[in-house]
Amino acid sequence: MAEQTTEHHNPHVEVPNEHIGIPGYLGVFTVLVVGTILTYYVALMDLDWIFPGANTLVALGIAFTKMTVVGLFFMHVRWSPRLVWMSAVGAFFWLSIMFAYTMQDYLTRGTGFFGH
Amino acid sequence: METVGAIETGSYGTAKLNYLNNGSTLKSWLLTKDHKRIAIMYLISVSVFFLMGGLYAATIRLELLTPASDLLETGTYNKVFTQHGILMVFFFLIPSIPAVLGNFLIPIMIGAKDLALPRINLLSLYIYWLGGAITLWALMQGGVDTGWTFYTPYSTTFSNTYVLAVGVGIFINGFSSILTGVNFLVTIHTMRAPGMTWFRLPLFVWAHYAVSLIFVLGTPVVAITLLLVAIERVAHVGIFDPALGGDPILFQHMFWFYSHPAVYIMVLPGMGIVSELIANFARKRIFGYEFVAFSSIGLAVFGFLVWGHHMFVSGQSMYASLVFSFLTMVVAIPSAIKMFNWTATLYQGSISFDTPMLYGLAFMGLFLIGGFTGLYLGALGLNVHLTDTYFVIGHFHYVMVGGQVIAYLGGLHYWWPKMTGKMYSEFWGRVAAMLIFVGFNLTFFPQLILGYLGMPRRYAAYPPEMQVLNIFSSAGASVLGVGLTMPVFYFIHSLIKGKPAPDNPWLLPGLEWRTSSPPPTENFDKPPVVTWEVYDFSDESGLDIEAAKREAAAVNA
Amino acid sequence: MSAHSHSDKFVYHEPGLQHQFDDMGQQEESVSLGMWLFLAQEIMFFGGLFTAYLVMRSKYPLAFASGSNHLDAFLGGANTLVLIVSSLTMALTVYYAQKGNRNMQVGLIVLTMLFGLTFLGIKAYEYTDKYNHGLVPMAGLNRRVKADAPVAEHVGLVLPGETAVSASEAKPGAEPYVNPHGEFQWREYELVQHMMDKQRAEPNGHYLTLNEQLTYSTSPGSLILDKDKFRDKVRIFFYIYFVMTGLHALHMIIGLGIMTWLLWMAYKSTFNAEYFSPVEMSGLYWHFVDIVWIFLFPLLYLLGRHYEHLGL
Ligand code: HEM
Ligand SMILES: [Cu+2]
Repeated sequence: MAEQTTEHHNPHVEVPNEHIGIPGYLGVFTVLVVGTILTYYVALMDLDWIFPGANTLVALGIAFTKMTVVGLFFMHVRWSPRLVWMSAVGAFFWLSIMFAYTMQDYLTRGTGFFGH
Repeated sequence: METVGAIETGSYGTAKLNYLNNGSTLKSWLLTKDHKRIAIMYLISVSVFFLMGGLYAATIRLELLTPASDLLETGTYNKVFTQHGILMVFFFLIPSIPAVLGNFLIPIMIGAKDLALPRINLLSLYIYWLGGAITLWALMQGGVDTGWTFYTPYSTTFSNTYVLAVGVGIFINGFSSILTGVNFLVTIHTMRAPGMTWFRLPLFVWAHYAVSLIFVLGTPVVAITLLLVAIERVAHVGIFDPALGGDPILFQHMFWFYSHPAVYIMVLPGMGIVSELIANFARKRIFGYEFVAFSSIGLAVFGFLVWGHHMFVSGQSMYASLVFSFLTMVVAIPSAIKMFNWTATLYQGSISFDTPMLYGLAFMGLFLIGGFTGLYLGALGLNVHLTDTYFVIGHFHYVMVGGQVIAYLGGLHYWWPKMTGKMYSEFWGRVAAMLIFVGFNLTFFPQLILGYLGMPRRYAAYPPEMQVLNIFSSAGASVLGVGLTMPVFYFIHSLIKGKPAPDNPWLLPGLEWRTSSPPPTENFDKPPVVTWEVYDFSDESGLDIEAAKREAAAVNA
Repeated sequence: MSAHSHSDKFVYHEPGLQHQFDDMGQQEESVSLGMWLFLAQEIMFFGGLFTAYLVMRSKYPLAFASGSNHLDAFLGGANTLVLIVSSLTMALTVYYAQKGNRNMQVGLIVLTMLFGLTFLGIKAYEYTDKYNHGLVPMAGLNRRVKADAPVAEHVGLVLPGETAVSASEAKPGAEPYVNPHGEFQWREYELVQHMMDKQRAEPNGHYLTLNEQLTYSTSPGSLILDKDKFRDKVRIFFYIYFVMTGLHALHMIIGLGIMTWLLWMAYKSTFNAEYFSPVEMSGLYWHFVDIVWIFLFPLLYLLGRHYEHLGL
C-alpha cells in the first residue's frame, strides 16, 4: 500500500499490478473461445422463425460480449481512468450516430423497410 | 502562492535565450520537438498553400468577368475551381488556426512546457508535408476536376483526371489533423498547470478542445471514404456507382458525415480567437463564459447530426430531409449563443480599436450574415431554389473567409508580437483590415444576389444580364487580394526593422502575456501557478500593469 | 486528470521521462490517453467501412448471404481462435513486463508474433483460394484459364499462375472454371433463384426485399432473375470483404512491426514495474485489431450459413 500511495499519478493507483492475474486471463480466454465456437454453431441454425435477421442479432450479441471482455480485462479498461472509458464508449456512440442517421435515410426510401 | 511575476522590465533588449535563437541550423528546425517552432513551420506552409489557392481564386474571378467562357476552356475551369477548393479547404483552412496558432498557444495558455506528445506533433507536420507534396505533384501532372466534394460516380468512373493521386494526398493529410487533435485533447487533459482549472481555460482552448473532438471522430471517416473512391477507380467495382449496383448517395452520406463537422473545424477555432479578442480588447470578463465554452462543445457534437442538409436534392428520403432540416435549425443555436454573448461583452466595455480588434468586430458582422444565409439554406423548401447556386458560394465564403480567415488574421496580428518579438506597423495593419473588410463584402455580397437570381455554381459561363454583379464581385476580389497581400509585407518588414515587442504589448492578464516575447523554449522561466480567474482585468489577476506599461513605454521611447 | 502539482523539490529525472512532463505518472496518463484517442480514431476509420457494409447489406441481403456462404467459415473461425490466443499471450506479455520478467516477455512476444503470422498465413491461403475461383472483385486479378485449357490431374490447392483446370473445382455436373481474362465470376444462383420463384408464387411474401425484387429482376417488377445484375451485387460483397479484411491484415502487419521493435526492447530488459507503458500501449493496439476481427468474422463469414438447411 505504502508503495502505491507515493505514485499519486499512476493511473493504476488503487489496483494491485496484477489486475486479474493469470487465472483471470485464462478465464477471459475461455469465454472468448466459447463465444467463438458458439457463434459458429448458432450461425448454422435457422433462427428466421423468431424474426428475420435473428441470426445476425445473436451473432452481434456474442461479438459485443467478446469485445467487452477483451476491453475490460485484456485492455484494462476496468481499472482505467474514467476518461479512457469515455473515449472507448464515446467512439462507439459516434459510430452509432453514423449508422442511425444514414439508415434513417435508407429505411425511409420508397423501397426501404418503412418506405410505405 | 507564488504568481508568475509579470515582467522583468527591459528584458526585451538583451539577447535573452528564446525559442527562436535557441539553435539556428536547419536541423534544429526540421528535427525540433518544440511546439512553437513546429507552429512557425506550419505558418509558412499554410501560407504557401493560401497563396496558391488565392491564385486559383483570382483566375476564377478573371474568367467570370465576362459572360462567355473565353479565358479558360470549360474543362480547365473545372480544374481551377476544384483545385482552389481542395487547396483552400484541406491544406489551408483546416490546419490554419489549429496547427499554427493552436499549436503555438495552447501549451503556453495552460502553462505547460510543451504539448503532451511533441514527437507526434512533429510527425503530424511531416504527414502534412507528405500529403501536400503528393497533392501538388498531382496538380502539376494535370490536376483534378471533380469539385472539392469528389462526388461519385463522376469521380470514380468518369473523370479522367488525377483523382486517385489527389485522393491519396488528402487521405494522408487527414492523419495530420487526427494526430493534432489527439495531441490537443491529451494536452488539455493532462498538462494544465497547477491552478489552471477547466473554467480558467481561455475560450481559445475550449474551442480547440471541441475542434479536436471533430478531428478525432470525423476525419477518419473522410479518409476511408476517399480510400474507397480511390480503390473503386482502380478496381471498377461499384459501391458508389449505380451502374454496378452501388449507391452514390452512400458516398454523400460518408463524405458529409465528416465534411459538415469539418465546416465547424473551419469556424470553431476562429470563434475561439474572437472570444479572446472581444473580451481582451473590451477589457471585460466575457459575458456568460460557461455558455460560450459549452456552446463550442455543443457545436462539435450537434454538428455531427445535420450533414443531410447538403443532400436535400440528392434523392435522400423526404423523411430524412425533414429531420436534417429541423436539426440544422437547432444547431444554429450554439452559434447564436456566442454572437449574443460577444455582443453583451462589448456592452459597456472599454473598447480599443487596435488592428486585432478590427478583425474581431469584422468577424461578428460577417459571421452573422454567414450564419443567417446558412439558415436560409437549411430550410428545406428554400434550399431547392438556392442549392448549387452562387448563394451557397456566398454563404460558405461568409463563414469560411469572413469567419475563419478574418479570425486567423486577427489572431496572427494579436499574437504576432508574442510569436516573433516584433511589433508590426499599426497604421498599415488598420489599412489592411479595412481593405479586407470592404473587399470581402464587395466580392461576396453580389454572389448572394446572383445565387438568388439563379446563377448556378461551377460554370464558366453565365447569362449576360448577370454581368454587372459579376464585375462587382471581381472588382471586390482585387481589393481583397490587395488587402490580403499587405500583411505579408508589413509582417516581413517588422521582422527586419520592427520595434522589439514588449512582453505584454496589450496589457492583458492571460498566461501567454506573462512570459517573454518571444517565449523561451520551455515557455516559462518558472513553472506558472495560476491563482487568478480567466479574463480578470482587476488587480486580483496578479498582473503588474504598471510594470507592463513602463516596459511598453521603454520600447516606444 | 486534475491539474497536476509541481514540487519545489529537486526534480529527479527518471530514465524514460520526457522533458515536458513532471513525473512518470503524468507521462503514463498522457500516453495512455493518447493511445485510446488513437483507437477511437481507428474505430471511426473502420466505422466508415462498417457503414458501407451496413447500407449495402441492407440493400442486397441475399447477395451478401450468397457471397458469404462462399467464404470458408471454418478457416475464418480458426483464424478467430488464433487471434484470441495471440491476445492472451499479449495480455500475459504486459503482465510479465510489469513483473520485469525478461524471459517470459521475450517468449510471449515471440509467441504472439507467431500467432500473428499464422493468422496472416491462413488469410493468404484464403485469398489464394478466392483468386483461383474467380472471386477477386477486380477484373484481371483472378486466375486466367482459357476455354480449351487442359484439365489438370491433381486435386487440391491451385497455385497462383497455374492455368490448368483443377478437377476438384466444380461441383459434379457444373461447368469447369473458365476465365480467359481473369474476371470476377459468380456461378451459384440456386439460392436467389429459389427465393425469386417463391416470391413470384407468393407476391406478398417476404422472400426478397422490395429493393431486391426490383434490382435482381430483368426489369423492375418482372421477378425474373437477371444473373448479371445479381452477380454485380455479389461482387460488391466480395469488394467489401477484401477491403475490410485487407485493411485489417494491414493493421496486423503494422502490429507485427511494432512487436518486432518491442521484442528488441524486451530483449534488452528495458521494461520493469516502473516503466512498461510501451508494452501496454502495443498491447492496446494488438487487442484492438483482435476486436475488429471479432466483428468481421460473423459479419463476413457467417451471415448466410443458416440457408444451408435449404439444401441448395
Ligand atoms: C448557422 C450555421 C450554418 C447553417 C445552418 C448552414 C447551412 C448550410 C446548408 C443547408 C448548406 C447546403 C447548401 C446546399 O448545397 O444546398 C451549406 C453549405 C455549406 N456550408 Fe453551411 N451552414 C452553417 C454554417 C457554416 C459554417 C460555419 C461553415 C464553414 C465555416 C459552412 C460551410 C459551408 C460550406 C463549405 C458549404 C458548401 C459545401 C459545398 O456544397 O461545396 N457553413 N450550409
Ligand atoms: Cu453543412
